[in-house]
Amino acid sequence: MRYDTVIMGGGLSGLMCGIALCKAGQRVAIVTSGQSSLHFNGGSLELLGYVDGQPVTHPLESINQLPAGHPYQKLGAERIAALAHEAALVLADAGLHTTGNANENHCRISPMGVMLPAWLTLEGYVALPMGKDCPWRRVLMVNVEGYLDFPVDFVVSGLRKQGLDVVVADVVTDELEQRRHTPSEMRATQLAKVLSTRVATEHLADAINVAAVDVDAILLPAIIGLTDDSLERLRQLVKLPLHLVATLPPSVAGTRMQAQLRHYFQMLGGTYLLGDTVTCASFNGDAVASVETEKLGDMPLRATHFVLATGSFMSKGLAANFERVYEPVMNLDVDADGSRSEWTRYDVLEPQPYMTYGVATTADFHVVKGGKPVPNVFAIGSVLSGHDAVKNHDGTGVSALTGLAVAHNILGK
Amino acid sequence: MAEEMQLTNTSANNFEQCLKCSICTVYCPVSAVNTAYPGPKQAGPDGERYRLKDPDFYQETLKLCLNCKRCEVACPSGVRIGDIIQQARMNHFTHRPKLRDVMLANTDFVGSMVTLVAPITNFTLGLKPVKVVMDAALAIDKHRTFPAYSGTKFERWYKKHAAAEQDTFAKHVSYFHGCYVNYNFPKLGQDLVKLMNAVGYGVRLLEKEKCCGVALMSNGLYKQARRQGETNMASMRLAIERGEEVLTTSSTCTFTMRDEYAHLLGIANDDVRAHLTLATRFLYRLIDEGSVQLAFRPDYKRRLAYHTACHMQRMGWAIYSIELLRMIPGLELDVLESQCCGIAGTYGFKKENYATSQAIGESLFQSIADANVEAVVTDCETCKWQIEMSTGVPVENPISVLADALDVEKTKKLNGL
Amino acid sequence: MNKIYSTHYDVIVIGGGATGAGTARDCALRGLKVLLVERNDFTNGATGRNHGLLHSGARYAVTDGESATECIKENMILRRIARHCVEETDGLFITLPEDDLAYQSTFVEACRKAGIRADVLDPAEARRLEPAVNPTLIGAVRVPDASIDPFRLTMANVYDARLHGAHCLTYHEVEGLIINQNRVEGVKLLNKFTGERAEVRGHITINAAGIWGQRIASMAGAKINMFPAKGALLIFGHRVNNMVINRCRKPANADILVPDDAVCVIGTTSDRVPVETVDDMRVTDEEVQVLLTEGEKLAPALATTRILRAYAGVRPLVASDDDPSGRSISRGIVCLDHESRDGIGGFITITGGKMMTYRLMAEEVTNMACRKLGRDVACTTAETPLPGSEPQQEKSIEKTISFASRAAQGRHGALADEIKADRPSDRALVCECEGVSVAEVRYAVEKLHVHNLVNLRRRTRVGMGTCQGKLCACRAASLLGRFEGDPERAKQQLAGFLDERWKGVKPVAWGSTLREAQLTATIYQGLCGIDHAVTRKEGEQ
Repeated sequence: MRYDTVIMGGGLSGLMCGIALCKAGQRVAIVTSGQSSLHFNGGSLELLGYVDGQPVTHPLESINQLPAGHPYQKLGAERIAALAHEAALVLADAGLHTTGNANENHCRISPMGVMLPAWLTLEGYVALPMGKDCPWRRVLMVNVEGYLDFPVDFVVSGLRKQGLDVVVADVVTDELEQRRHTPSEMRATQLAKVLSTRVATEHLADAINVAAVDVDAILLPAIIGLTDDSLERLRQLVKLPLHLVATLPPSVAGTRMQAQLRHYFQMLGGTYLLGDTVTCASFNGDAVASVETEKLGDMPLRATHFVLATGSFMSKGLAANFERVYEPVMNLDVDADGSRSEWTRYDVLEPQPYMTYGVATTADFHVVKGGKPVPNVFAIGSVLSGHDAVKNHDGTGVSALTGLAVAHNILGK
Repeated sequence: MAEEMQLTNTSANNFEQCLKCSICTVYCPVSAVNTAYPGPKQAGPDGERYRLKDPDFYQETLKLCLNCKRCEVACPSGVRIGDIIQQARMNHFTHRPKLRDVMLANTDFVGSMVTLVAPITNFTLGLKPVKVVMDAALAIDKHRTFPAYSGTKFERWYKKHAAAEQDTFAKHVSYFHGCYVNYNFPKLGQDLVKLMNAVGYGVRLLEKEKCCGVALMSNGLYKQARRQGETNMASMRLAIERGEEVLTTSSTCTFTMRDEYAHLLGIANDDVRAHLTLATRFLYRLIDEGSVQLAFRPDYKRRLAYHTACHMQRMGWAIYSIELLRMIPGLELDVLESQCCGIAGTYGFKKENYATSQAIGESLFQSIADANVEAVVTDCETCKWQIEMSTGVPVENPISVLADALDVEKTKKLNGL
Repeated sequence: MNKIYSTHYDVIVIGGGATGAGTARDCALRGLKVLLVERNDFTNGATGRNHGLLHSGARYAVTDGESATECIKENMILRRIARHCVEETDGLFITLPEDDLAYQSTFVEACRKAGIRADVLDPAEARRLEPAVNPTLIGAVRVPDASIDPFRLTMANVYDARLHGAHCLTYHEVEGLIINQNRVEGVKLLNKFTGERAEVRGHITINAAGIWGQRIASMAGAKINMFPAKGALLIFGHRVNNMVINRCRKPANADILVPDDAVCVIGTTSDRVPVETVDDMRVTDEEVQVLLTEGEKLAPALATTRILRAYAGVRPLVASDDDPSGRSISRGIVCLDHESRDGIGGFITITGGKMMTYRLMAEEVTNMACRKLGRDVACTTAETPLPGSEPQQEKSIEKTISFASRAAQGRHGALADEIKADRPSDRALVCECEGVSVAEVRYAVEKLHVHNLVNLRRRTRVGMGTCQGKLCACRAASLLGRFEGDPERAKQQLAGFLDERWKGVKPVAWGSTLREAQLTATIYQGLCGIDHAVTRKEGEQ
């Protein structure tokens, strides 16, 4: 099977890259082993949230404070601004309407009740101005009793620390009660499934309206709007502005983003091979000629360009064993410390060195094997070395932007 | 041995590679509609740790899993969640299967009995009183229509009308037709013969073919499934020795024989696996290599939707069927969002599963209705029953669609016949 | 609290390990008014940091016949009185090609002499009984080893002590002893939560503080020489073996593999460490290497089995009083009457021994206390079952119960009936790996001295599964925050809990375990920003 570009990894970076290539008329296949880490996303993309532990208000201005190996340093602030703009448009084309821009961060509310800097936040989710007064004085926090993936007390106490007056109301509807019968499946995405019918949404709206007295806004855990327009319906049915707050994963927002982007990619003619894994690559000289996958077996995927978007350790884009850190598909050069004890540090909240490990790339994101750049293979997203997504809050930004940047690199040739 | 220390982490069905990320739970069609099912994570890797300690941790609710493997497709860590659950059922479920389950499971035995008296059976199975009795006595849901039994078995048709001609070809493939083609829908087998013949391949049947055993496995008849599997593998080996690839037209039979025989039933299939493939994949490869060409009728005009069956999704081979269909110029193809139809073989036939089964399929049925197509194409025969019963839209196998659209004479010419 | 502080006790027991808890129970059963004080959480010391092995005594048979005899006696007693804490796995002592097979007969003879059943098995039979065993073995002996849950065992003792009138305080540190005319008359306590200080009086003070006993003794002016011996262990993600596997040779490093609950544990190493370091034991790369290299010889599957965490405990070895140099270690149980030894009245130290013999240690020290108090009451702990070990419902009825209820029965035995889950929201799962429900968390908070997440983990196994505390940690923290009405403190605890889990994960952070750690960091820091929610690390939990 022959494609213009084969992308390994179908998460945010792979899809952004694939969409941009398809739009330009390329024949693209994405091979992805399972669903992506977007499922752990709370509904916001982050360009750059923190540098050295300090919150960032104007991300573009803070790029130059990042270390030299950071993927953003390879792009430069100017290109980042353009790519960020493009990314928001791609999301909108995929049906994911967001608020926010790259010039100035806003705040999202985390499931721990922390205000965290964000770049783009899905419509319907809380996005508060950063470092300015909150537009609300008094809010209603809706809670589903016994739903444990939303630590309501943590969120409420976090909001109160911000000076907000918070009223908490437990809501009960028949549909939510029904879901309770599986103690192991009281999850955001399951609740969203039962709340998706017209009747269930109405019941929820009724229950919320009873409680929403004398408040400026309603906050609801993100348990609605998985695949359909139930969130929009709910927002129309409640009498005050309603916003969602992220829950613990798997998240409704993340699942939705993943599905919408994938759907848009397929609509543009892209081939999405879900549940398959690239096992090895065949080289022709320095370049990769084809890759084999677990499922397609001896019928390899040939392409002009290949993109590695396989993610970090947790997504299996990188692997570590007793002896070393390596890239499992092509055994590419990685930036990582040699000895095991250097990979990690005591104190879990300290920056952990392994977080910044990844494949080594050239200035335009060509991967490197045995010290030599591979001319037709690029890497994007979390598999790139040089950034710590949990400390810098830049993971989704790096994924979206490098995905688009590499698409441009490929098309430019 | 010391130098291999902790280079990889392995465990049965990769259950310990589970990161507890819970993504599988998002994609389980059963737990979304049936609150009695504890969900793939709990039934699979979580439960398995405790079952290893004490078999009493096995729960009856595991039988609600319909083995669609959508959890495995979604799992980013390669955990074979569905297999863990299947394996647990095999290891711990010790009750003797009910008469109803034995009946449903023995698709070939019941099939061969019934084909003899097909018109009567079809009439009887369709009669309301009979359905009520089946519903009450056998707990086979009364809404279900049994797939009609064809009067002539495919094997008999083949011997009578096709066998002799097949020897005239220079190249050959073997065909595992499966129970459905043999008893219910010989036309699909005939379409395959037509298609393969047109590109220069003679089609042979296996020396001895038994039901692949998927229904036996899901109904607890593991020993019988193993016996039948061994027979199939032995027959296929003979074909492979003759230099023939073994083709199938059913995604579920293929999946069972390729991907479940070895680690669930302990049937060695390593040597056979690479030569056992779906006809669409075989054909696509020939076209991709440039060794055969297809020509289609210029007057062929249809609007169809492709439905990715669960096991097709798990095998990752839908791409071949879709790409082949896209080669037909007059065909407008709508690829539906891949989701479970709810039938899962014999699962949906059982009275206790009927509601779950239909609730699972609802979203697919809706998307079929929205697609507004003449027919749905899919590689799985049980999806066909479910979709036809639930939507009224006819369902065809891609091989039948290709055979129908094919310009046989032109194709023969293109392939030098 | 005031009533607890102001009571005048017959006995004050210092130390909430198995020995302290067992002593408190023994005293209470004999009708003594007893207070148990623990500066941290129950089972925080060596009790909670060992193999979880119910020794048959076979390991000591050749080198220390006396300990072996003690072990097998206690082994049989614990199977009776603590049924719900014991899993009757039996054990194998295997001889590998590199070992001397002649040792086997010495071993078997020594076992028989100590009263330990020891059946020599054909290697093929051993492989059949325990498929995970190294297939190259040339000999095997089957002995009545078993696995025991030390957390459960200790809590059952605490629970029963309380049922019989004992007072128990955790997070109360003994800052000093009340000494009057060469007599210890009580303890000076610091409540580590409130900062409150109190003096509590009792006739007899028993020092059961394990490795920290040296310090307690010094408060009374008595000198005990302890040699802390660090023992590191590894926990694997699931059960590789269902029988205990030992090497049939002189006891050495990493030669015992024990199936515990849903995991298995290999250990231990043994290294003398300075006394000052005992509060912060870290497992080194070298120790991990030794444990893996040796462990793999017992069960080759360990080479590819995921490791969940590493941990280390400190054995409180005591210098023999008979040796003036203070260098030689005393074997077995050491019960020191400081009155006769050092001229300090009202003060006894119980140490040495092992978790296996905690009951016997408790019996001996309680006997001594009774003698001093002039109370002639016989010990009944060898016959009186611990709460929870009563027979449970019929298995056939159990078939229908949920995963969580069954898991809870495993943890609390018959006491699981006390877990009330009448409302559906009580049945929601907090920890999915280990099947811990909201109701069980509530039960633990109400009945089992749970003040923080680490306490909760030890009582219920929350966060002890393969994920080592992912969603469950947050769920449990928010529940604790709710029960205690202080969500901000609960966030701090959550951060502390994550750090405590990480401490054990770090030495084995590769493969799936590193992937898991990254996902946990992604959720707690990336998604939740917990690092921006807490202002300091919760110190000693």
